[in-house]
Amino acid sequence: MSGRKILLVAASLVACWLAAPARAETTLKVWTISWDPVAMAGFKQMIAEYEASHPAVRVIEEARGTDEHKAAMRVAINSGAGPDIYYMWGGLGLGGEFVLAGASAPLDAYYAKYKWDGRFVPSALLDTRRYKGGQRHGVPFLIRGEGLYYNKALFQRAGISAPPASYDALLADAAKLKAAGIPAIIFGGSVNWHLMRLMDVLLETKCGAATHDALMMMKADWSSTPCAAASFAELKRWTDDYTLKPFMGLADDQAQGLFYAGRAAMILEGDWFVHMLDAHGVLDNTGLFLFPTGTGRLYFFSEDFYISARSPSKDQAADFLDFITSPAEQQKHLGQFATTSVDKDINYASMNSPLDRQWQAILAHSTQTFVNGDQAFPVDVTTEYWRLINAVASDTMQPAQAAAGMQTFIANRKR
Amino acid sequence: MTIGFAGRRQRGLLILLGPALLIYAIFAIGPFLDVIRLSFMHWDGLSPHARPAGLDNYRAILARDPVFWTAFSNSLIWTALSVAIPPLIGFALALALDQRLPGRGLLRALFYMPVIIAPIAVATIWRWMYDPFFGIVNATLTDLHLSGLIQDWLGNRRVALYAVFVAYVWQTVGFSMVLFLAGLQNVSPTLLEAARLDGARRAQSLRYVILPTLRPTITIVVVLSLINSFRTFDIIYGMTHGGPVQSTQVLALWAFWQSMQLHDFGTGSAIAVVLLLLTALVVIPYLRWTRRAEERWS
Repeated sequence: MSGRKILLVAASLVACWLAAPARAETTLKVWTISWDPVAMAGFKQMIAEYEASHPAVRVIEEARGTDEHKAAMRVAINSGAGPDIYYMWGGLGLGGEFVLAGASAPLDAYYAKYKWDGRFVPSALLDTRRYKGGQRHGVPFLIRGEGLYYNKALFQRAGISAPPASYDALLADAAKLKAAGIPAIIFGGSVNWHLMRLMDVLLETKCGAATHDALMMMKADWSSTPCAAASFAELKRWTDDYTLKPFMGLADDQAQGLFYAGRAAMILEGDWFVHMLDAHGVLDNTGLFLFPTGTGRLYFFSEDFYISARSPSKDQAADFLDFITSPAEQQKHLGQFATTSVDKDINYASMNSPLDRQWQAILAHSTQTFVNGDQAFPVDVTTEYWRLINAVASDTMQPAQAAAGMQTFIANRKR
Repeated sequence: MTIGFAGRRQRGLLILLGPALLIYAIFAIGPFLDVIRLSFMHWDGLSPHARPAGLDNYRAILARDPVFWTAFSNSLIWTALSVAIPPLIGFALALALDQRLPGRGLLRALFYMPVIIAPIAVATIWRWMYDPFFGIVNATLTDLHLSGLIQDWLGNRRVALYAVFVAYVWQTVGFSMVLFLAGLQNVSPTLLEAARLDGARRAQSLRYVILPTLRPTITIVVVLSLINSFRTFDIIYGMTHGGPVQSTQVLALWAFWQSMQLHDFGTGSAIAVVLLLLTALVVIPYLRWTRRAEERWS
């Protein structure tokens, strides 16, 4: 290569270096779980949009499987090598465990600065307020409601013209379905949390809101609170009389397959199920109603982004969270993460499915919620709760024994 | 000072063994000792420091844990079955595939293939085969007019453990077969021919010629089956998660569950130590017994 050519190449390199954008001054690490490809693409696009409008900030996103994410968080929490922002479920369960361990920074100042209380729907904010001392933790990103989906044709065949408005009416409908030779409901017993949903809503129905919450917070005695055993008895009634059998060996996806195939009339699923129904071509034949617990509270959980207590860039992290939850970004990415946005001021005209619209109305107007058992309990109690539910459902334990078993386990806990 | 031949040899050995010993100490002995230490501590994986617990974790699992004893007895049942059934089938397959058969190589590969499939994939395959509504197992029973045998294979707590064990047999039998096939190559054709000329029947050749030659192989197969069975975890996790009603729970899975799902590393480590003691209690006497037997024979 001649001297002139070398000079030319060197000059080009210098020009490229000078033309390159200034190096980011702040780096934000965001850890999340691996969502489906549409949601992941949407999140990456949100990051790109934030970086474009904030050239001095670089956002590094790391997505892991659910268990790997939890494990990575546990390792990171004491190492100082963790993220600036992390994804976790809202409320006192999994999210609460990390808050309790000091992993999350209180966000009260940012809630005031960005006026987030005015941005989010009431149900999304409930979980951010459940923490000790009234501190605010987590910024809502996803909200999930759960209800009973039903097969319209099977309801019609059993002579049911409208969804039930009370628990007694639901039981009467289940009996009508049974009389017509149709299993009323389907669960996947092998994954524990699927059948747990039935127990959760039965506790809400039989105990009422206050006692249900007291039981879930382990402040009420399961063995001496009559509605606890009554709820287990009700669970037994449903699994004995109204559930498609056998179900204990089924996983959730197998149970869902049986619902798509019209083998059972109802399934207790979340708002995410609308897209699955659509993918299986059964959306038009499916209706939705909330489990008639009689308390008016929505069966619900939220998924939030928390700012790490060890993050050196908390202000920037809050700014990023403000950006991705802003009405403009939420509107732009509508439907990529969930049927319903966490924001109030969203136009849903582009989403035409009646079930999506029904969920939007439910989630926008719900002011009181109760969470899934595995979000409410510490993980060891959850494992025992599952074992007892399965024991009652598979006829190896009497309901009163199960209620007593819960209390014994809670009393014996080390922590 | 000069170093003699023995000293130089010893130093050479140390240099050669050093890297391997160092890796073994870091990745095997270190964690092993740490598990024993953790079994006497309370630690949730989040707090910066573990708290001393004395024997509390052991008291918790032995007296208060509603699942431990189910897991303990399941581990014993699983181990007894694992030591008996896969090696027996593997031995029978090895004897058959040691004969001059057409397609012998292909058959050996076919029987060995499940060994190289990831246990979690085996679990998924069998979970779908056992599907009570659409699975091939119940469909086959229906086709054979054996509808009375149809089960919720993974949902019935009385049969679930054995249903998972069938999948485990399918996966592991090829491993025993390969070890026995290797052992059979050491059986002297001259001895077999001599036995035949002396009028020994097949069963007598097996008993008096083949089995004594296979004694070291049998020891290896039994010890490996014992160790593998005690630490069985992934196939049960993939097929049942230990359910229904913890009826397929085993000690290795329960130790994992306590540590990695419930984040109670003290209890998980205590269960792991119990598992270690149980394994040592079975394996060490067996190895001593076989060594003595070998000495008697030789």
